[in-house]
Amino acid sequence: MGIQRTLENLEPHFHKGGKYEKFYPLFEAVDTIFYSPPSVAKTTAHVRDGIDLKRIMITVWLCTFPAMLFGMWNAGWQANVAIDAGYASMGGWREAIMMTLASGHDANSLWANFVLGATYFLPIYLVTFVVGGFWEVLFAIKRGHEVNEGFFVTSVLFALVLPSTIPLWQVALGITFGVVIGKEIFGGTGKNFLNPALTGRAFLYFAYPAQISGDAVWVAADGYTGATALSIAFQDGMSALTNTFTWWDAFLGFIPGSVGEVSTLAIFIGAAVLLWTRIASWRIMLGVFLGMVVTSTLFNLLGSETNPMFAMPWYWHLVIGGFAFGMVFMATDPVSASMTNQGRLVFGALIGVMTVLIRVVNPAFPEGIMLAILFANLFAPLIDHFFVQANIKRRIKRTGVPAEETA
Amino acid sequence: MAQGNNSIKKILIVAFSLCIVCSVIVSTAAVALRPMQQLNQELDRKTNILNVARLYEPGMDVEEAFREQIVARVVELESGDYTDEFDPDTFDGFDAARDPATGRTLSGGRDIAGLSRVENYATVYLVGDEDDPEQIVVPIRGQGLWGLMRGFLAVEGDGNTIVSITYYEHSETPGLGAEVNNPRWQAQWEGKEIYDEEGNLTPAIHLTKGGASGEHEVDALSGATLTSNGVTNMLQFWLSEEGFGPYLAKFRSGTEPEDAEDTETDFEDVEGA
Amino acid sequence: MADVNAKGVLTAPIFKNNPIALQILGICSALAVTTSMSVSLVMALAVIFVTAFSNLFVSLIRNHIPSSIRIIVQMTIIASLVIVVDQILKAYAYEMSKQLSVFVGLIITNCIVMGRAEGFAMTNTPGMSFLDGVGNGIGYGFVLMVVGFFRELLGAGSVFGFTILPTVQDGGWYVPNGLLLLPPSAFFIIGLMIWVIRAVNPEQVEDNEFKMKQNTKPQEAV
Repeated sequence: MGIQRTLENLEPHFHKGGKYEKFYPLFEAVDTIFYSPPSVAKTTAHVRDGIDLKRIMITVWLCTFPAMLFGMWNAGWQANVAIDAGYASMGGWREAIMMTLASGHDANSLWANFVLGATYFLPIYLVTFVVGGFWEVLFAIKRGHEVNEGFFVTSVLFALVLPSTIPLWQVALGITFGVVIGKEIFGGTGKNFLNPALTGRAFLYFAYPAQISGDAVWVAADGYTGATALSIAFQDGMSALTNTFTWWDAFLGFIPGSVGEVSTLAIFIGAAVLLWTRIASWRIMLGVFLGMVVTSTLFNLLGSETNPMFAMPWYWHLVIGGFAFGMVFMATDPVSASMTNQGRLVFGALIGVMTVLIRVVNPAFPEGIMLAILFANLFAPLIDHFFVQANIKRRIKRTGVPAEETA
Repeated sequence: MAQGNNSIKKILIVAFSLCIVCSVIVSTAAVALRPMQQLNQELDRKTNILNVARLYEPGMDVEEAFREQIVARVVELESGDYTDEFDPDTFDGFDAARDPATGRTLSGGRDIAGLSRVENYATVYLVGDEDDPEQIVVPIRGQGLWGLMRGFLAVEGDGNTIVSITYYEHSETPGLGAEVNNPRWQAQWEGKEIYDEEGNLTPAIHLTKGGASGEHEVDALSGATLTSNGVTNMLQFWLSEEGFGPYLAKFRSGTEPEDAEDTETDFEDVEGA
Repeated sequence: MADVNAKGVLTAPIFKNNPIALQILGICSALAVTTSMSVSLVMALAVIFVTAFSNLFVSLIRNHIPSSIRIIVQMTIIASLVIVVDQILKAYAYEMSKQLSVFVGLIITNCIVMGRAEGFAMTNTPGMSFLDGVGNGIGYGFVLMVVGFFRELLGAGSVFGFTILPTVQDGGWYVPNGLLLLPPSAFFIIGLMIWVIRAVNPEQVEDNEFKMKQNTKPQEAV
């Protein structure tokens, strides 16, 4: 029980009047990682549940692991295949680690692929975590509240939606923007109306488009251009897409893309856990899915001679780009999504519709899920408002008395 | 506020006199400054032309340089010959395209630059000797990503080698598509060739992603695929038979474009030349 | 407006009562014209000119303006001034006016001009009104210049067109931030500016419309 004793000995210093009063949030964060919080319900008057914000967030965090692990392997595999084909590796310290641990760019070796992918993803994640964590702690100390575990999720989601070759300083800038502008200036976790991870990504997308979109950034081999499945379809049409990748490639994740978004299967494994534990709202996921299916079918029926994206069927929309990842992990963010049950369906549907709309009709952006979710985030309170008002009206009709105002 | 201010009479007086005073001021400003403004517009156009011909230096006397070195002519696009029907100083291709008498509608596959209507005549600017120009500056326009892009292309006297390209009006994304006016990108165009073989009217010049090689390829704008496609398309259009193809073909084959008197010259003849 | 003195009227709008940062007026043009500092400067000068003289003229005839048509009278004066400015720019600063395009004309709709004419010039002497117009114009221009500074420096690597950070496109090392070349970035910069200004002057912070309940201390149910 060494840790507990140490923590208990230290604790007085962090309370009001103690030496390190300012750093209480940090102490609390460390303390509750190891031990349950001091304030838990003990009597029968309460519903007792092992789950609190921290447990929820850690579950979500764990749910991203299948996608993350597969993504690392895939990033390495894509690069190793390209290097096998004669392209130069990016070199530098990554190469040194690669040579020490895996001694070569062998695309058939699970280990070599994984190590190479990890040398790209882990620094991104580390930078995200350190820089984002710094802002989180700074604001927590300044405002005198506890460090919020939501950041665990934000950081991993942010890292997973970036291409593996992104410069690390951009990662730092992106997460800074996401945490500070997307969340902290509105008062921190629970008060933000935008998804911080996506806010950070959107910032990078508009600020440094050359490093986060296009054809050259997805595969970590020098000079190699591997377009994402979406941009192949966008530029050359569906037949070019089906010639390059099979649907199963895309579903399993053997395609270039951001680290975490490639494997729809791995994402669905995480989704299953989220749904089973009821952490993520099935209504939102269903809404996004239905919205996408309906809109894409509509475009299929309409047809277009000049725009090949019209012809993309819904099952392709599902497996390429960031659709699955956005639907499972981003849209279901409990803070920035709608709160009412019917509202969640509408909120989800709005995302699904907008995603396909942007993918198909917008000339500049091949991917739409990021902007669609941010867009729907803005509407979430309005959607809720309508359903709450409808509820109030219904109740008045039933009882003849207006419901008492409750906070 | 004074008591009498709200009487009908006072309201009318104030409104009327205010209108008079303001309209006098506004119209004086407009009329007095009009010549200056037109001069500026002219100057701007001339600067752009000198710029694309690589003759412009900051601080130079644009008017004089233009007068000395550049001759404007109107070309009938189909035949590739000059015409005197229009005054080259006032002829505006953009307006001409909309006029049924001087423009035509493009349909479907032929309209690769997204213009929908195109003029039958166009102003070209000849640098140096009118009969044996060092450079030919032709206007180009077409759809980019967000809207119409308008610019000039300067070609050497051989009707094939590019000197430079510049856009004076566009609404492309800053930092991406708007890099069409980055001097480093523009510099790549120098020495590129439009057509691949003698007599062929289909331009070979195009933008290509990553590592342009050969005399017909120019590096695409990084991160701006659709703007790059727009640039390729408008060059393919304006340098083809639909645009300046027949006109430039005369320089390529060494026969000078005919002057206005001989507009009978047939299109077929030109191609055979 | 109890004590109207020349110095206060001129300087208050710059920090203490800034039209953009505190009154949140005239945001639209601040988004559009701030991609570079020189354009911001010309726009700021144009607005200073228009606010100052519209205030002056409105104040000169304030005792003769019938209250029923006073808004139209102010509007006419402002519109005339704006057209004059636009014409002058087109004649003498063509490059600038091309970049400013419609936004000079849109000074007419800038709430600052109208707001000062109605709120100050209608009740104060011409001299004071003129100074008030200049002060508010400067306050507007100040924000424009700050926004323009950050947008041009970080978005294009230069200040007033002089390269400070050589960009990658021009063979340097600085990767310009494309977001700052897009109009919405001005929102972020203005927002951050307001944050800084209010951190320095806490009295500018508005009262809460409602108060959230403090986190209650966890108590054991009994």
